[in-house]
Amino acid sequence: MAIKPSPSDSTSNPVQTLTFPALVFAKLAPTTFLTAHLSSPHGPLRPSGRSPSQVRTPTCHTGSLTHAHGSAVVRCGDTAVVCGVRGEILRAEDIPDYKPQPEEDARRDYEDEQDEQALKITIMAEEEKKLAEIGSGGHNRNSQSPDRGNEDEQGRRKRIRREDSEEMARLGLLVPNLELATGCSPDNLPGGPPSLLAQTLTQRILTLLHTTHLLRMGDLRLWFHPRAPSSTPFKPADEGEDEDLARPSVKAFWALYIDILFISLDGNAFDAAWLSVLAALKDTRLPRAWWDGDRETVLCSDDPSEARVLDLYDMPVALSFGIFEGDGESKGKRWVLVDMDGFEEGQCREGGTVVVGDGGRVVRIEKDGRGMVGVKEVRDLVERAKERRMEWIGVLG
Amino acid sequence: MADVTLSPLHRADGSATFTSNGYSVVAAVNGPIEVQRRDELPEEAAIDVAIRPAAGVGGVRERHLESILQSTLRHVILVSAHPRTLIQVTLQIISSTEGSFNVGDLPQATSNLPILPALLQASILALLSTSIPLSMTLTATLVAVDGQRLKSDPSAEELKVASSIHVFAFSSHGNLLVVESEGEFGIETWEEAYQNARLACRGDEENDSESEDVSMDSDNDTKLEDVLRIAVRQKVAREQKWKLDLRSATT
Repeated sequence: MAIKPSPSDSTSNPVQTLTFPALVFAKLAPTTFLTAHLSSPHGPLRPSGRSPSQVRTPTCHTGSLTHAHGSAVVRCGDTAVVCGVRGEILRAEDIPDYKPQPEEDARRDYEDEQDEQALKITIMAEEEKKLAEIGSGGHNRNSQSPDRGNEDEQGRRKRIRREDSEEMARLGLLVPNLELATGCSPDNLPGGPPSLLAQTLTQRILTLLHTTHLLRMGDLRLWFHPRAPSSTPFKPADEGEDEDLARPSVKAFWALYIDILFISLDGNAFDAAWLSVLAALKDTRLPRAWWDGDRETVLCSDDPSEARVLDLYDMPVALSFGIFEGDGESKGKRWVLVDMDGFEEGQCREGGTVVVGDGGRVVRIEKDGRGMVGVKEVRDLVERAKERRMEWIGVLG
Repeated sequence: MADVTLSPLHRADGSATFTSNGYSVVAAVNGPIEVQRRDELPEEAAIDVAIRPAAGVGGVRERHLESILQSTLRHVILVSAHPRTLIQVTLQIISSTEGSFNVGDLPQATSNLPILPALLQASILALLSTSIPLSMTLTATLVAVDGQRLKSDPSAEELKVASSIHVFAFSSHGNLLVVESEGEFGIETWEEAYQNARLACRGDEENDSESEDVSMDSDNDTKLEDVLRIAVRQKVAREQKWKLDLRSATT
């Protein structure tokens, strides 16, 4: 006997649809939850309300740690990270197997060092002059010729930058260390050795610091000037004078300890950490230090006006991304999500980072996973990273 | 050219050595084996990768390589076929062109990418030797760019002067699995390097589809996929040998 449902039945006994709040849905069926958001009829939108290619705007505070030479607090969404840079003096005599530079190189570096100071002044003067010319409406007829002359100069600078970072790597002058604080994310349990994530991030930051040739070795060398540095430093040694004392030499180095601490981690650890490192290095002021020949030790000046900032060659911008693959009806459909939060990171099975430097040069591309990203996606991501540059410049000031 | 040995170790479930361009790696796979409670995944096999350097104990450099390998092999192995188990991949670097065998001689900051293709290749060969179900195989290669010149399988000197170095790994379906590029390059250079690596790994695909059998005996066996194929073919032949012996004995 068939039971016929009468219309009156359904009105008195309405179909019970299972409903629960969005948060519960996200916990129970995360993939379906994210798919539903991304395949919404109003265009793909993430649970956070961002579009797939929209990043979280970072905020940055510098100089909040008083005991560090430079520091920064960076926040992107719920990811918050503190970075402190501390310079420690590494004496050349304490370095095992330390080979002083050949004399010519030392002389070149020393002269560069002096030139650099002079150059800064001339560049500033030139720029002022240029500005004045533009202001007065005069043509700059010589605008072509300096570029040509600079090509040789550029090649030389490139070589020097490369040698600089090789020396930094050899001496280990940059020591980043990344720590995920207890409770910064639910996965991070107290105690125990540094997690695989922390170690991997440390290594990635370390290699990026070196492969981008970010810092100048000149900023990290501590010289011994046998005489007043302004008066003819390379006058041939007089007879009877100790030759060692006659020429300037490098007696010590600044080693930069870059400590990165995650207070809160909600996805995209690398971008936040890298931005904080850049901001902290930009903020770093090392006191003027010199080797005192009589006391045989390094002395530092306590005059803040003599402290020097670090010259950063570049500002490489990082952009991390993930590939999310839908389920259910949208199976096989995929979205490229940039700057993922913690929830999205858990759902993506493929991810990576592109880092773009000055003038659109790519300095790093890394990616692993299932092979859903092709050349076209990488090209788009590099473009997106270039756009992000302006944002980072705004944040870093 | 790459030199491959399958199953050189007798106590591991599967093993392989891979030697190419001055890099030599021996890989051992154990699995599926019992997993510790805290690493256990309810729906798939956990994969544990351990890399030992040629000298000394592993450090942060090795952890980084391990995490790249782990997240790649997770997609290569059919992990859902062995839920709540562990597949353990151990890789020992025997020699590398970074040369120095003195502990601590190699700065931590130097690039760890050049060894990566050999590690990927050795691990996939060891997995094949273990007969663990895989969704695909992979091939990986290294390309160095010096100015405008591209060089596959660069030597240590070439790596030193290279303006950028790139590691690419391709699946047997032709998808791009791993990219690790560092240095200074334009996106056009990167695409060139990509094409170059693709050719080294998978050969000239257009030619292959036109004439499958011609390409087999032409000089196309320089591509890495064929290295893999030949190694497996030899392994199968060796394992089937008793059958042939039996047949010849009965006749």
